[in-house]
Amino acid sequence: MSPDRDPARRGERGYDAHASGSEPAAGAPLAPATGARPDPGAAMPPHAGTGAHPGAPPAESHAAAPVRSGAPAGAPGPGTVPQEGRRAPADGGLGAVARVLGGRRRPRPAPGASTTAHELAVRHRLLLALSALLTLSLFVSYEGVHGDADPLRTSSAPAVLSIDTALYALGEAEQDAGAATPTSDFQKQISVAAQSLAAAAGDDVGGPSGRQALQTVAALITVYAVKVQQAQLQPAGSALRQAYLSYATSILTDQGSGILARLKVLQKQQRAAVHRQTSFGPLLWLGWAATLVIALALAGCLLETQLFLRRRFRRRYNRGLLAAGALLAAGLAVTLLFTVWTHQGMTDTRQLLDRRLTGPAITDAGRETAAHLAHTGFRASAAGGILIGGVLVMALAETGLRRHIDEYRFRPR
Amino acid sequence: MSAHPGGGPARRRARTVAVVASCLALLTAAVVLGARAAGREPTVTLLANWTGDDEGNLRRTVIEPFERKYHVRVDYQGSSAESQVLGADVESGTPPDVVVLTGPGELADYARQKQLQPLEDLIPQKDFSTSWATPLADGHVYWFPLKADLKSIVWYPAGTSERQRGQARDRPEQWCVGMGSGATSGWPGTDWIEDILLQQHGPRAYQAWAGGRLSWRSPEVRQAWKTWGLLMGAGTSDTLLRRTLQTDYGKASAPVAAHPRGCTLEHQASFIRTQSDAWRRVDGRYEPSARLIPGATAHNAWEVSGDLVALLHATPQAKQLIRYLASADVQRAWSTAESGFSVHAGAQPAPGAAGPAWHRGLAATLLDRQAAHCFDASDAMPPTVRDAFAEATIDYLAHPGHLDGLLTNLDALTRAPDQTWLPSVCDQVP
Repeated sequence: MSPDRDPARRGERGYDAHASGSEPAAGAPLAPATGARPDPGAAMPPHAGTGAHPGAPPAESHAAAPVRSGAPAGAPGPGTVPQEGRRAPADGGLGAVARVLGGRRRPRPAPGASTTAHELAVRHRLLLALSALLTLSLFVSYEGVHGDADPLRTSSAPAVLSIDTALYALGEAEQDAGAATPTSDFQKQISVAAQSLAAAAGDDVGGPSGRQALQTVAALITVYAVKVQQAQLQPAGSALRQAYLSYATSILTDQGSGILARLKVLQKQQRAAVHRQTSFGPLLWLGWAATLVIALALAGCLLETQLFLRRRFRRRYNRGLLAAGALLAAGLAVTLLFTVWTHQGMTDTRQLLDRRLTGPAITDAGRETAAHLAHTGFRASAAGGILIGGVLVMALAETGLRRHIDEYRFRPR
Repeated sequence: MSAHPGGGPARRRARTVAVVASCLALLTAAVVLGARAAGREPTVTLLANWTGDDEGNLRRTVIEPFERKYHVRVDYQGSSAESQVLGADVESGTPPDVVVLTGPGELADYARQKQLQPLEDLIPQKDFSTSWATPLADGHVYWFPLKADLKSIVWYPAGTSERQRGQARDRPEQWCVGMGSGATSGWPGTDWIEDILLQQHGPRAYQAWAGGRLSWRSPEVRQAWKTWGLLMGAGTSDTLLRRTLQTDYGKASAPVAAHPRGCTLEHQASFIRTQSDAWRRVDGRYEPSARLIPGATAHNAWEVSGDLVALLHATPQAKQLIRYLASADVQRAWSTAESGFSVHAGAQPAPGAAGPAWHRGLAATLLDRQAAHCFDASDAMPPTVRDAFAEATIDYLAHPGHLDGLLTNLDALTRAPDQTWLPSVCDQVP
């Protein structure tokens, strides 16, 4: 037997401190000695009836129970009628929750019986339920912000910049197309546009429909380049040269079906995706508000349980619950900090991408975007830690309360 | 007596933690999977050449009702460079599920490459005649028409007398012509030459030429080119040439509604009547091109074109879309929206049905069993020959003296190996 589990050796006292407001008197007569047998319906420590440690039951805090000299706390003698109205405060304000969490499975203790086992069970279930709820709520809320950081960093933001690059290169190419003689600049700009679109396709712009749209644009760019080359093969100023240039220009600039129009539609979709990914909408606000409320409730419950154990078992601290509280505080602080950092980086990225970028500004924007979104991948991967942390908090709460629950499981028959 | 009938405290603790952790994991997985599933919907990709207003019509009358009825999303891509887009898609291994092309020649080529899926199990054979849903040499049907148009017609404003039309025919500036069409610029010229050949030399010569069996340098084909050059005033006016080459085909009829009127006649397919605002404003009427083409001898021969539907990926959603597009209701709805014509046996208007006279006349001609209907020859040719033909018409207008070189070049392309030629493009020629 672990000495820690022996109420007698732990020094738990048999008298309710509330009754007299003072420490119990040393050498108070024990139940067997006075012949006042504990009420069979009262919760008893597992060894109370075994004779191993006679007369050393753990403290019960029946604030309402009249304490008679020679009777152990929580073991009122025959004829003692506890008063409901005065017992309620001993629940630590958890009476209503107790009715919900503990009332259905286990009948209420008989009048005058010990409520410690019941109250322990209520707190036990409440702690586990709140921990599970918090873990889920925090995970979903955290994922709601960080889950979008990775697609933003690896897909949407680069895609917007790729399309910006393609639009700029095609504008430059159109200027070069009108030159009197073929220039290498035209070919270079076409290559830049084609490579940018290939990069955008690699970024999985807009899913399957976006990929199809990019393939269409890529094919149109090829046709555009061919028409410009056909024009450049004709004498300057000739009708054929003008005709082929007009066909090329229409392929590039036609409203709705031209290359530029299609790219602008894609860019608009990508910007909308960036806005969606970086917005902190009502659902996220709700999720984080709920998470904080549940976290406060869990912290309050941990504190109350700590105080409850201190009152009932005269233990200054329960190490399991303390550790759970510390883990909760640290975990919340880290996740909040990570979320603020990531969200700020995403907001900065959105503001950067909302501007119309051309030329060298696109390269600079690429660098700045990478800087804003640095480390977001690492922070996003911390979501798994929330689940592990949640399980740890539950395990710690379980460990902290289990020893006391086990002590009260045994009931004399 | 056992103090722990349910097992030791350690075991109970482990069990509790395991149960809670499992519930948590299950809940999380359910939330994540649920969120992902909500954003997913079966999709079918569709590629066609309709853009602008046509694309809007397609979405409104065909795509959106399909999406609502079957809860399948349609990713539509429309492009005038459809051929190049499809070629790139097929080469890169990511073709669309369903394609609507105007060219049976191109489709036959894809069928030869085993890129198309047979359709005979998806569309009832009685719905389309074999001249429209043509079985290939392997016995399979790979396409069916969504819409058909008549091409051997000339549009003119209401109130233009026959004498005025005859006079206008001989004045090149009175023809409303636009060769521009982005990536496919030049096709209005191919329609001209095809129709002239058909009207001057009949379906038999036309079919031989469309099938690669009649040389481009043959007297028949050469005469067709020269007749067109004459009507267009090729080599006579630089101003007229620049107007013809640089005008987009869709805007070619704009001068007909201007004051004073800039042109009177337009050789263009039936779809232009509703596509062009100018023809609507001047209440455009048509007459068979045979009456205006010099040297026309053919009787009741008509060039036609169609938007042909083919299946590249036989996914359940794509098959559903094929059945939907082949249904009489959709054929009727799409033809009405585009003022085109369905050749679906069940989608024909009842005798005496309401509608403008020109529309009823065109529909009757298209379905006339006595008439010879020949599919657009350039659309029936292999894509490389078709594209070279379109470019040659542009070059010819600018340099009519280069005709021999252009035809020689086209003959060389025609003789290139590994090309698919359709054996038959006319329904009345054995």
